[in-house]
Amino acid sequence: MAPSRTSTVKSKHASKHAANKSGIRNSKTSSKPQSDGVSKSKKPKGKGPPAKPQKSAGNLATLKKKRRVYTEKELGIPALNMITPVGVEKPKGKKKGKVFVDDRESMLTILAMVNADKEGQIESKMMKARQMEEIREARKAEAEKRLEIRKAKLDETKEGMRKKRKRPSAGEEKDDTRSEAAAGTRPLKLKKKKSVSFA
Amino acid sequence: MRPLTETETQALFAKLANYTGNSLKNLIAPLDDSPNGDRYVFRIQNSRCYYVRLSLANLATSISRDKLLSLGTCLGKFTKTGKFRLHITALPILAEHARYKVWVKANGEMPFLYGGHIVKAHVGRWSEDCAEHQGVVVYSMNDTPLGFGVTARSTQEARRLDPTGITCFRQADCGEYLRDEDSLFATN
Repeated sequence: MAPSRTSTVKSKHASKHAANKSGIRNSKTSSKPQSDGVSKSKKPKGKGPPAKPQKSAGNLATLKKKRRVYTEKELGIPALNMITPVGVEKPKGKKKGKVFVDDRESMLTILAMVNADKEGQIESKMMKARQMEEIREARKAEAEKRLEIRKAKLDETKEGMRKKRKRPSAGEEKDDTRSEAAAGTRPLKLKKKKSVSFA
Repeated sequence: MRPLTETETQALFAKLANYTGNSLKNLIAPLDDSPNGDRYVFRIQNSRCYYVRLSLANLATSISRDKLLSLGTCLGKFTKTGKFRLHITALPILAEHARYKVWVKANGEMPFLYGGHIVKAHVGRWSEDCAEHQGVVVYSMNDTPLGFGVTARSTQEARRLDPTGITCFRQADCGEYLRDEDSLFATN
């Protein structure tokens, strides 16, 4: 099957080429066998174009001549009404190649420009850094304040707790006043007392 | 060998201005007051940029392009994208006009010369008010230029850094004269 397929493909290509050739040659015999199915629509096209290019070529040639005449008269108008890419059109009157900077004045102007630019960049960087530093310091101060407030609250609550526990203990037992000097040992003792009370 | 174009000059000066201050204009100042006095110019040969005396550059025109290997002081090379890359050979010029400096302690010299970045523990002194990512020239404690780099942190931030934290990223060091001996002056 494969060879037969390839042969058909080849024939298609061949037919196309042949059609084109036939179109140019205007031979009816070669065009007839290829006019199976779809190629019918191509037939008139094939016949049409050969006549057109000749006419259009003639027209274009005349048009070009006319246009050239007009462009010479009117210098500002572009020759072709087409979009030309940026790189393609070369500016007239400009020197071809690189333009070197070798004189001291132009180099100094470039240097001054670059220096000013860099100075600005450094300045803005420094300003930013200073601002960030200020913000950081402010945050630090705030955090420290918060910590102090928290500590103060904690101390207050601690004191409150101590006072609360002091009152009942002072009322019940008079001997424990000696051991109150070591504050850390107190809660343990209280627990023991509690356990004792439960027992 | 040819002079630089405008864009190339701009790229070169922008790179040099990272490390130097306003004194950069002294680079192209005439050597004497006479109208046709000698001065230093920049020349490109095989994409490398050389800082060379004009009289020497004029003499070098008698040597064909492919035979001329190098002349004057090589500052660096232009990449194919048009950027400029400084070489260690530009160090004497940078050191002369440096704006921000970092002095490295004796124990930090060798790590730097072997291609390492500068950690805070190795910094002896540094210029105040230096911004982040700013070009600096690295000196030893006895003011010998060792190379150049870019600050990793601003001076204020670097103060809070731990001793092993990087303060300066290395860009070129004198060790390259040995390490990159084959490619530093070769043109191809």
